Amino acid sequence: MKIIVLVKQVPDTWGERTLDSASGRIDRSNGDQVFDESGERALEVALRHREASGADIVAMTMGPPSAAEVLRKALAMGADSAVHVLDDALAGSDLSSTSAALAAAIKLEGFDLVIAGNESTDGRGGMIPAMVAEHLGVAHATFLNSTVIDATTVRGERGTESGTLEVHAGLPAVISVTERSPEARFPGFKGIMGAKKKPLVQRSLAELAPLDGGAKSVVLSVVRRPARSAGLIVTDDGTAAKQLADFLVTNRLA
Amino acid sequence: MAIPAQARSRRFRLLWILPAAVLLLAVAVLLARFVRELPAVQDFMTQYPGESELPPESPVGLPAWLGWQHFLSAFFILLIIRTGWQIRTEKRPAAFYTRNNRGLIRTKGAPHRISLTLWLHLSLDALWVLNGVVFIVLVFVSGHWVRLVPLHWDIFPNAVSVGIQYLSLQWPTENGWVNYNALQLLTYFITVFIAAPLAILTGIRMSPAWPTGRTRLSAAYPVELARRIHFPVMLWFVLFTVTHVTLVFATGALRNLNHMYAGRDDASWWGFGIFAASLLVMIAAWFLARPLFLRPIAALSGTVSR
Repeated sequence: MKIIVLVKQVPDTWGERTLDSASGRIDRSNGDQVFDESGERALEVALRHREASGADIVAMTMGPPSAAEVLRKALAMGADSAVHVLDDALAGSDLSSTSAALAAAIKLEGFDLVIAGNESTDGRGGMIPAMVAEHLGVAHATFLNSTVIDATTVRGERGTESGTLEVHAGLPAVISVTERSPEARFPGFKGIMGAKKKPLVQRSLAELAPLDGGAKSVVLSVVRRPARSAGLIVTDDGTAAKQLADFLVTNRLA
Repeated sequence: MAIPAQARSRRFRLLWILPAAVLLLAVAVLLARFVRELPAVQDFMTQYPGESELPPESPVGLPAWLGWQHFLSAFFILLIIRTGWQIRTEKRPAAFYTRNNRGLIRTKGAPHRISLTLWLHLSLDALWVLNGVVFIVLVFVSGHWVRLVPLHWDIFPNAVSVGIQYLSLQWPTENGWVNYNALQLLTYFITVFIAAPLAILTGIRMSPAWPTGRTRLSAAYPVELARRIHFPVMLWFVLFTVTHVTLVFATGALRNLNHMYAGRDDASWWGFGIFAASLLVMIAAWFLARPLFLRPIAALSGTVSR
């Protein structure tokens, strides 16, 4: 079975993250750039399946040259090979062009199952897995809290806003996993040394023809989130109930 | 580049602290030299030459087991001080550790989730304490304790005498194979019998092993107090190590290293060789003590997570 795991390099949520005001894109110049956690969990799902029944795992990302670090880490954690979709023309891609480029690269690679994180911590769109499935013309099962993979199907519990669903799909398929999935392993020393010998190929836009590539949507302006204003403290001098009621009414919370 | 006001004032303070320290040292040395020549002090120093007499039949020489004990103690304390400092300064631990409560150590309560750094600190503490217990037992069983514990009040005038000798830059003759000088003995005694137990007692108060449920006990011995003592005790160990190593090398390095590591009283290179090898081990441990290599070791007795 060939499993493609979609991974992404994101700014560390630990520090302050900013948007570049000129381009409207993520400012990658300050703070650490790390492996998105849900992508790590997606890889963990693939690795556990390989340990149980064997599989060929390809880690794939699209991003600037620095994103190769994430692929190296994926290889160190146990992926067999890696694909880096890298092209200047893809810089600033939106969900639509990103999913098209990834789908083209996945097709080129061939697959039985694509596993992604449910949403990255930077964009938080959560749409890429479904859009990739649409491009590939296969079923998708997204936001899985648990995953069971066998030779012909993938099944699991899908978390929704109103509850959970038991879903399954025949392979080939695309799934995305949530943070309820098992925590990813740490790469070991052996893994890190071994990763240097594993293949990491780059795919340019030309290889992914007939894509036209590039961003389809443009960020017109970036506004810094206003500082939070202080809350209202109500002290009970006999009129607290009325003050509270007034507060709820004026803020249309009643 | 603008320097923050605080850093500027600190730098400015250094500008006068450094020359003042040099000046103070020079004055102290001159004063000691002057005092030393006074007839009364001369008499005092003849009466108290610098070492307290040992009881008859005290063991002579230093046994081979001391070399091991000494190396392990130095090895552990180096990494303990380092991890202790990391615990104080680290804002975001690389990983966390939760003991699995199945192996050798089992507790009624659920194990705490601690940072990997704290895990290393506590593990090294346990080994250091174990090493210390072995040392205490051996030193008392072998009779060598008489060289490490002050037995007469004359240790104090003798220590003053040694202090004057050091300060006047006419150092006392080394006789470590048979008897430590009074100041040396007091320093070793403080380190072994005061500083080390203090470090352990204050460390236990801050560790997850402390029974926080015993509210009256915890109130009687507040954790803030433990923290306030633990840190200066660390400074004592650092100061002791720096002074100790300096004096070992300044007072007949080869002979001293042979005493410490090779259990022999000559100027051959054995002790130096063993010391050099032990130094390599410490340096290697210093660089290998990183999450990549610690995680698999920690995982033997617990769960390592983010």
